[in-house]
Amino acid sequence: MLAGPNGAGKTTLMKVLLGLVRPDAGVFEVDGVPVSIDNAWKRRIGYLPEAVAFSDNLSGQQLLRFFARARGVDRRRVDCVLEQVGLDHARRRAVRGYSRGMRQRLGLGVAILASPELLILDEPTAGLDQEGLGVLWRILAEWREAGRLVLVSTHDLALTERRVDDICVLRAGRVLVQGTGHDLRRAVDLPHRVWLDVDDHEPEGRQLREAIAAWGHGRVTTTGQALRVEVSPEELLELMRIQSRFPKAVRGLRVEEPTLDMVYEKLLEAEER
Amino acid sequence: MSRVGFALAVHELSERIRDRWVLVISALFALLASGVSLYGRIAEADVAALTGPSLVTLTALLVPLVAMVLSHDAIVGERDRNTLGLLLSLPVSRIEVVAAKYVGRSLALALAVVVGLGAAMAVSGPAGVRTLLALMGPTLLLGLSFLSLGMLISACTRRQVTAASVVVVAWFLLVFFYDLALLGILVISDGAVSQQVISSLVVANPAGLFRVQMMQAFAGPELLRNLGMTTALPGFAALCLLWGAWLLLPCAVSGLLLTREKVT
Repeated sequence: MLAGPNGAGKTTLMKVLLGLVRPDAGVFEVDGVPVSIDNAWKRRIGYLPEAVAFSDNLSGQQLLRFFARARGVDRRRVDCVLEQVGLDHARRRAVRGYSRGMRQRLGLGVAILASPELLILDEPTAGLDQEGLGVLWRILAEWREAGRLVLVSTHDLALTERRVDDICVLRAGRVLVQGTGHDLRRAVDLPHRVWLDVDDHEPEGRQLREAIAAWGHGRVTTTGQALRVEVSPEELLELMRIQSRFPKAVRGLRVEEPTLDMVYEKLLEAEER
Repeated sequence: MSRVGFALAVHELSERIRDRWVLVISALFALLASGVSLYGRIAEADVAALTGPSLVTLTALLVPLVAMVLSHDAIVGERDRNTLGLLLSLPVSRIEVVAAKYVGRSLALALAVVVGLGAAMAVSGPAGVRTLLALMGPTLLLGLSFLSLGMLISACTRRQVTAASVVVVAWFLLVFFYDLALLGILVISDGAVSQQVISSLVVANPAGLFRVQMMQAFAGPELLRNLGMTTALPGFAALCLLWGAWLLLPCAVSGLLLTREKVT
């Protein structure tokens, strides 16, 4: 997944891979082997551009048939793909009557039509409703299971995080940080939030509050009966140990790890400084 | 042409048929051409004197506009719809994309002209049929030249609405203003610019070339000589070169422009 603020270079990087923009410098490698962006390479790629519109006069089926002819794909696959992206009911309807989300799904259909080895999706979640997002997640899962590559650029980090293996944060044309969601969280040192619903009617409740205060780590805030403790990942384990010493003190417990959006904001803040 | 290029050309043609462009333009050609032919037939006028020149004037006005309108959105339309990147991500060279679009739209234009003029032949007398047959080839050359020019306008502009405006201006300049400007130069220069230069400039414009070629075909060299334009129509080889240049050069430049473009 490619993330980064507007102008970071996400779309430009994708366009370099598609041969739409020539790089000023550098080599493009796949598994350590330099690759030239030629027609043989393009045959291996499926692409969904950002905010794609398509010709209004064509139906979804006619549009996919054109791309099937151009890519040498069996005509029968068109109906299969339309079903896959949830547009089989609108296959004969002109694209002008499609909503933004339906156009996006049609674009997704164009991208997956030739079952490419590499799927490049530029802001695929834009304009998608829940049903459309479901289609997108299904396709991402299928590609992942088949061991194929998907390169996604998005601003919806929280939404996409669970569906990707690797996240690359770009800023001003260079890689700020790259790794799994876990790696990124570790890179910024943001606290986990632990919500403890303390039962003050129990003597153990009071004892727990005292034990946490005596512990001296984390930032503790009290809201009514709830206790919010902000701790680092290392301190979290210790806090759990303390809590387990007073099993009757806690009626409920919730641990919130920092969202990827928070991590992302922190990364950009740090970069600006 | 590669598979992608062929698919794109077929797609361009079928889209023009599907959106009824071919039907409308064919009907327009048929209506106007048969109207003129019928009028000539009823008036029992000499083909050389009335029907032929009237059809030439009509064609020289209408075909360039129709052709440029047909091609003005070929590339800029893809930009507007944000599908240019998607199209160029297919395994095909950019020059071939331009060529395929040109071929597809050329076939649509040719179909409209042939069907339109063919329909007009059905209501024309034998003389009218001969006139329309003589008109067919040069009309196609005229149309394809302006189609090529429309492709260039499409490649140079960033928005479809701008391309449409440029097409109207180009049509006005090449079809109306050009001859008037040459006439003005001839009068103002008072002989300083030779008639031969003016005649050459007339045929440098495809609309002028078409008019002169058709006038010679219908009225013979005598009429052209009387108009002082005997040197205007070049020899066969030069004629082929001129038409070839108008047919291919603007389109080739469009391809080169697209090749150098950063697709944003």
